[in-house]
Amino acid sequence: MPTNQGYLIPAIGDIYVKCANKLADSIRQWHPEVNITILTEDMLPYGKFSGFANDWQCYDASPYEQTIKLEADMLCASPIDHYWNLFANREVVISKGCRDFYDKPGKSRYYRKIFDNNNLPDMYNAITYWQKGDTAKEFFQLVKNIFEKWEDYKSILKFPDPIPTTDVVYGIAAVILGEENVTLPDNLAPTIVHMKKHIIGTIDEDWTKELILEYTDPGIRINTVAQWGLVHYHIKELANE
Amino acid sequence: MTSGVLIFAFNNEHIDYLAMANWSAKNIRRHLQLPVAVVTDQIVPTDYYFEQVIPAKPYNGDIRKFADQENNVTWYNGNRIDAYKLSPWAQTLVLDADYVVASNELKKVIVMKENFVAHKTAYDVVNQDNFDELNNFGHYNMPMWWATVMMFRRSSEAKLIFDSMSMIKNNWQHYKDLYNAIHPTYRNDFALSIALNTVNGHTLNHTSIPWGLASLTPAHKLSQISEDNYRIDFLTPDRKPRYITLSQDFHAMGKKHLGDLIAN
Repeated sequence: MPTNQGYLIPAIGDIYVKCANKLADSIRQWHPEVNITILTEDMLPYGKFSGFANDWQCYDASPYEQTIKLEADMLCASPIDHYWNLFANREVVISKGCRDFYDKPGKSRYYRKIFDNNNLPDMYNAITYWQKGDTAKEFFQLVKNIFEKWEDYKSILKFPDPIPTTDVVYGIAAVILGEENVTLPDNLAPTIVHMKKHIIGTIDEDWTKELILEYTDPGIRINTVAQWGLVHYHIKELANE
Repeated sequence: MTSGVLIFAFNNEHIDYLAMANWSAKNIRRHLQLPVAVVTDQIVPTDYYFEQVIPAKPYNGDIRKFADQENNVTWYNGNRIDAYKLSPWAQTLVLDADYVVASNELKKVIVMKENFVAHKTAYDVVNQDNFDELNNFGHYNMPMWWATVMMFRRSSEAKLIFDSMSMIKNNWQHYKDLYNAIHPTYRNDFALSIALNTVNGHTLNHTSIPWGLASLTPAHKLSQISEDNYRIDFLTPDRKPRYITLSQDFHAMGKKHLGDLIAN
C-alpha cells in the first residue's frame, strides 16, 4: 500500500479506542500491510469539542494524502482494498444508504426521519474518503461551520435534533457542495451493514442477544450468513471480547 | 444421460395428491416430453400412468391449515429430502404435485448447466398479495428458496444439498430456534434455504431459476377454460370481483380448487 494512503479511525473515549483497535485488527486480518491511524483525543489538532463536533478535525489530523475514515464500532468482514480504486478519481466520497446482514439494502427509515423530512441525502459518515485538496478542505470547513452554528442551521430544518449527528451534518454539507461532488452513483459505493433493530428486524436493540455472531478468522458470520465489507455492530460491548 | 420428473404424492384426509400427480404427469409428457416417477405409499390405480412408481412410507406428517380447506389436514412433506436417493434419473426435475405444467418453460431449466437450481422468489399471479413474507422466513427474514421446483444432476454438490436438508430436518428444533421460525411446522422450503446457504459457504449466493415462481394463493378461485388455459377469479382489496386468464406454469397453493378441477 502506498505510504500516502491510510485508514483513519477516530476514537474519542476509552470504549471507542477499544472498538478502533478491534476494527484495526479486523482490517489487518485481510490487509496486514495497510496504514492505520487511530485518532485519539490527545491527537486532535484543535483540542476536544463536545458531542460529535470533532469530526471536522479529521482533515488536519490525517497523516495521509488519501484517507478512508471509518467509524470505530465496525468490523471488517472481507477485503476492502478495492475501495481505493473506487474512490481514486474523486476528491471526497461519503457512503450513502446501508445494508442488512443479508446484504440487502436497508429499507427502514426509522432512524432517518430527519433526512426524509428535509430531503437530505442518506449519508453515512461511517465510510468517508478524501484526498487532500480544495474540495475536501471546503467540505470539512463546512462540517465545522455546521457544527458550530447548529442553532442557525436548526432553524431552517424541519424537526431537527437538539445536538447534530455527524451524518446529518454531512448531509447538509453535501447539499451545499452538491451531492454529486461528494458521493458515488448508487450501487457503486460501498455501504455498511447496519446492525440496528429496525434495519435487521430484531426484537431487542442489542442484536447480540438474539443473533449468533461467529468469528471465522478472518471474517464474521451473523446468524450463519457470511458478511461482506464493513459491519457497523454499534453494540460497543463487543469490543470488550 | 437420463432425465425425468419426480413427484411426491402422499394423500391425506382431504387431498388426493396421487390424482394430482397423475394429472400433472400427462401435462409433463405433453409439454416437456419427460418420463415421470411418483413416490407414493398408495396403490396406483390401473387407469393412472407413471413411468416408474417408487413405493415409500411418508415420514410423520405435520398438521397444517390451508386457507381453502375447511379443516386442518395432515401434511406429509418430509420425504422430499430423499429425492436424491430415490430418483431413478441422472437429471431430475422435482415438482410439487400441485405445480401446474401448462407450457414448456421448464425445458429452459432442464438445459441449465448447474447441478442444482430452484426458485428464489415467488409472486402472486393476480398481484393482490405481497409475497415479501413468503419469500423470506423466520423473524429475521432469512431469504428463502422454494422447493416447489428443483432441478438437480447427480453430483457431489446436489448430494451435499440433500444431505444438508436431511441434517436440517433431523435437527429442526435447533434450526427453528436459530432462524426464529415463526411457524413451528417444518417446511422443505426452509430446509432447502438453510442448506443452500450452508453449502455455498454461508453466502446466500446460489444460481437460481431465472424467473419467479408464479403462484396462486388459496383465497382465489381456479377453474380451467381449456387444456392449458385457466381462469383465476379474485376480489380486489375493495371487494370488486375480477379475473385473469393464465396460460403459463403456476403453483396452485390452493389444493382444493386444483383437486376439484382434476376430479371433474
